[in-house]
Amino acid sequence: MGAVIGRSFILLLICGVAAFLTLGWKLFDVQVRRHGELEAKAIEQQTRESVVKASRGTIYDVNGKALAVSATAETVYIDPYMLKLNGEDAASISSALSELLGEDREAILAKFANTEQRGLPVKRKIEGEEAAAVRQYISDNKLTSVYLSEDSKRYYPQSSLASSVIGFVGTDNYGLEGLEAKYDDYLTGTDGRVVRLKNVAGTDMLFSDYENYFDAENGCDIALTIDSTIQYYLEKHLKQATIDFGAEGGAAAIAMNPKTGEILGMASLGNYDLNAPFDVSDEITEALAGLEGEEYSAALLAARQRQWRNKAISDTYEPGSVFKIITLAMALEEGLVDESSTFDCGGELHGVPGRTGAPYHCWKAEGHGNQTLSEAVQNSCNIAFIKIGLSIGAEKFYKYIEAFGFFDRTGVDLSGESESIWWSPEVFTEPGNKTQLASASFGQTFNITPLQLITAVSAVVNGGNMYTPHIVKRVTDADGNIVKNAEPSPVRQVVSEETSAVVRKILENVVSEGTGRNAYVKGYRVGGKTGTTTDTVKEAAEGVKEYKVSFCGAAPMDDPRLVVLVLLDNPSPSAGYISGGNMAAPVVGKIMSEALPYLGVIPQYTEEEAKQLDVSVPKLGGKTTDEAAAALDKAGLSCQTVGDGETVTDQLPAPNAAVSPGTKVIIYMGGKRPDEAEITVPALVGLSYGEAKRALENAGLFIRSTGVSAAASGASVSVQSVPAGGMTAVGAVIEVTLIDKSIQGQY
Amino acid sequence: MKGEGSLAKMGYARARRLSRDRAEEEVFAPMERRGHIDLQFLLLVLLLLTAGVFMVLSASSASAYYELGKPAHYFTRQFAFAAAGAAAMVLVSRVRVETMRRGSMWLLALSVALLALVLFAKPINGARRWFDLGFTTAQPSEIAKLGIIMSFSVMMCKYGESLRKLKKSSWKSFVSAAAPFAGALGVTVALLLREPHNSAAVIIVAIAAVVMFAGGLDMKLCVAAVAAAVIAAGFLISRAESSYAEIAATGGGDYAFRRIVFWLHPEADPSGGGYQTLQSLYAIGSGGLTGLGLGQSRQKYLYLPEEHNDYIFAIFCEEFGFIGAALILALFALLIIRGFWIAMHARRKFDALVASGITGMLAIQVFLNISVVTNLLPCTGISLPFFSYGGSALVVQLAEMGIILSISRDMPITRAG
Repeated sequence: MGAVIGRSFILLLICGVAAFLTLGWKLFDVQVRRHGELEAKAIEQQTRESVVKASRGTIYDVNGKALAVSATAETVYIDPYMLKLNGEDAASISSALSELLGEDREAILAKFANTEQRGLPVKRKIEGEEAAAVRQYISDNKLTSVYLSEDSKRYYPQSSLASSVIGFVGTDNYGLEGLEAKYDDYLTGTDGRVVRLKNVAGTDMLFSDYENYFDAENGCDIALTIDSTIQYYLEKHLKQATIDFGAEGGAAAIAMNPKTGEILGMASLGNYDLNAPFDVSDEITEALAGLEGEEYSAALLAARQRQWRNKAISDTYEPGSVFKIITLAMALEEGLVDESSTFDCGGELHGVPGRTGAPYHCWKAEGHGNQTLSEAVQNSCNIAFIKIGLSIGAEKFYKYIEAFGFFDRTGVDLSGESESIWWSPEVFTEPGNKTQLASASFGQTFNITPLQLITAVSAVVNGGNMYTPHIVKRVTDADGNIVKNAEPSPVRQVVSEETSAVVRKILENVVSEGTGRNAYVKGYRVGGKTGTTTDTVKEAAEGVKEYKVSFCGAAPMDDPRLVVLVLLDNPSPSAGYISGGNMAAPVVGKIMSEALPYLGVIPQYTEEEAKQLDVSVPKLGGKTTDEAAAALDKAGLSCQTVGDGETVTDQLPAPNAAVSPGTKVIIYMGGKRPDEAEITVPALVGLSYGEAKRALENAGLFIRSTGVSAAASGASVSVQSVPAGGMTAVGAVIEVTLIDKSIQGQY
Repeated sequence: MKGEGSLAKMGYARARRLSRDRAEEEVFAPMERRGHIDLQFLLLVLLLLTAGVFMVLSASSASAYYELGKPAHYFTRQFAFAAAGAAAMVLVSRVRVETMRRGSMWLLALSVALLALVLFAKPINGARRWFDLGFTTAQPSEIAKLGIIMSFSVMMCKYGESLRKLKKSSWKSFVSAAAPFAGALGVTVALLLREPHNSAAVIIVAIAAVVMFAGGLDMKLCVAAVAAAVIAAGFLISRAESSYAEIAATGGGDYAFRRIVFWLHPEADPSGGGYQTLQSLYAIGSGGLTGLGLGQSRQKYLYLPEEHNDYIFAIFCEEFGFIGAALILALFALLIIRGFWIAMHARRKFDALVASGITGMLAIQVFLNISVVTNLLPCTGISLPFFSYGGSALVVQLAEMGIILSISRDMPITRAG
């Protein structure tokens, strides 16, 4: 028994003491020493993070009109791993989803085959009933392999308005183009998270109070300097110009507040619907129909990039004569010329150092003769500007180019701004070769962006101060705090107020008397400069002459509040005589005629203009013949009576229609106006104002004109609001655009 | 041995005298008045039982909810079995040790018969280990463990002297004395391996060794057996170390060998072979010093398999931390020390061997279970006494505690007091 006691005691020591010391040591090792490491791993598998999506900021125009907004949407995902794990039926789920979402059943089935994967998207950004139907389907069938995840969808309420500026986002809500890309960091915000405990099946753990919230920080809102109304005017008239003149290479227009550098509007055609940025126009779709495979994809990609491209900042061109504004400002500032200077143009210029072969030609072969400075600008005389440029000298010229910011990008807060192309300083200032200087003086042999040009012109007309152009006025965070505020301040003064005043006066003359006549707007002092260039490189290489016509206008010239640049790239020769004066100037004029009143600039009509103002047709119903005639006479309208009743029973045009002064209003004394449904509009293009008016009246229609004064000597119809052969109602008012074609030349 | 000598000097003269008696049966006085049960042992059992039953509630609630819809399903059953087991313990503690001794060999025969019979039962998870009793299932291996303890104790009293010293001269008598042990153990183990039920086989061999060791088996043999086991383990470990990467990658290797591989490197296949071990470590490690609090285990949410059976202690560690776990370890240690103390103070050799055997079995199960959940040893299916869910096993365990309590009643010091 003693041995048993001893052995039992040994067992006591081994089983009761040694074993438990070992276990205690091991437990201490696992629980205390490795606590952090093991707990981290446990938490990693036990928790489920759900993302709380930050809402993307809104983009507003200057008046608070929303241009880009985000709304919540949902994305349908499938989880092939859970499908396999829980033995759910891929075939029936695929069929149901295909029916609910309109997606290809086979494609969904193929996704289900990746049984190692989780979370494959089936359809993104569904909303409302569609999402509800999927949710119902999931809960009805208690599916674990299909789920919905919160997503957000970007809407562009104005559809294509300012599309090349605003840009769009991709499926993951990151900005891909335009401001959406440039300001992505501000707009995006920071997603929040909810960390919850989950069980193995991935659903919430019961009886658990462990939950961590990390709030989502919504994206900042952005207020633009863009004014939707002015943007709309730009796009409307630019679009019309491309229809009228067929700008194959596209078209761009910029409206700027010259006193701040704020971009009020920026349009590049073609526009596209921001809500469907990948859709190309029907014409392009048709053109691509014949292509296949890679060729098709490449062509489609190119077409998309073309429609997304912001031509106003991404394409460079030779500005041509519009640039003479800059040369003029330099020479005035340097005191090399003044309003009394005169320049002789015999059509060509010999003896420019470095020029071999042909002499420089003016666009007007027979020459402009002797001209004052203002006349040289009005005529857009190349010879005069070569002389002015040579007198400035290459070094000084180059210095001004730099001061006007033509070497650098403007620094506008948009992505995709191109760099200009200039001669190197060594070449430009090469002694004994003044040809670069001579060509640059009238805007050739270098390439700049439209934005660079309008920025410099704004400086010239605003009193000489350069501003950095910008398009974002304010960035505010989700709580309304201002994160970033654009406070326009002049970067530098390039020319003096005096120089600016003289340039303004001369530019006003260009519109009132010179080559810019077609930009004339009744009641407003519009100034500006035309430009017509050919792509010289392309011409040399391919023998094709492709024009770029432009016009840069400012108004009112005593205190400019709006500068507008319009560029039409490669207009069709069939559209009439190709020149900035004929094609771009009227567009600027039309934009100005709407934008200036919108901006609250009060029109001041000259006596001559007052006579030509549109008048509103008075309401004549119930009046006697005499009363009606008196009312019409008072309004500056004439009258034609039909029928012999006592009182007016009907009239054409209808009351309140705006018509040109002197329009013959038809009053029906008893009876109604003829109820012919439609009238064919006659062809008016090329007719003078008087001819057009008669033609319309004969057809039972009325006229209203825009563009140059109806009284101007060379005024003729360039565009009619309803094309020839089009149908319209009896008594409709047809709007015609008058342009002055008296000067034919590529100025 | 120093312990042996000093204990002897502590004045248990009666015990010494008894040990010299060749025929111990003679000292049984049939209708002798019995002493009190050992209250310390009883208290420790009840404390552990209470902790264990409530731990089943916490650990099983999640899986019971998800799988059965009734969070308290396992708890109510376990509670009922605990009550039944406690009753069995009290009942058994009133049975005279002599009565048990007489039934010892019958118990072995019964357990062998049951082990043979269970081979004809309906297999569950590919093994025939359980009898379906309708309201619960029962494993004959639990009876077999007790059968081996009881029968070996009887046999050690009978043939023990021949096994005390292995000498060339007495080689024959040693073999003939060892033969019944080898026979009983061989048949039992063979039947268990047939089920198959390897972990029970391992435990049975271990408790057989404990009883024989306590009964005075030659120390040389004991040392040799331990040395052989250590060498075999070292060999397996070195083989597993050299090929674990390959086995983790290809999924090769036989069942037992893979367990060794993923014991050493559970992280090599976290979703397969190492899953259970890693999940257990995550649970234990998450507990830290103070634990997540009662009912706050996260690993029980279906991450950790067998969370209310073999791995219940991992959930306990997660909820109560190192402090709680150490407390449970201390209770187990005290119970085991008290069990061996009772063995040392037992009135007869048979009593001492049975008490040592049952206590040793308890210690082996506790040690193996906690070693497995802490990855001290490779993964095997061994439950934690008083904690793991399992009705019939709990009843048998408590009945075994009743045997020790019965033995404690005959302790000379109890009777003297």
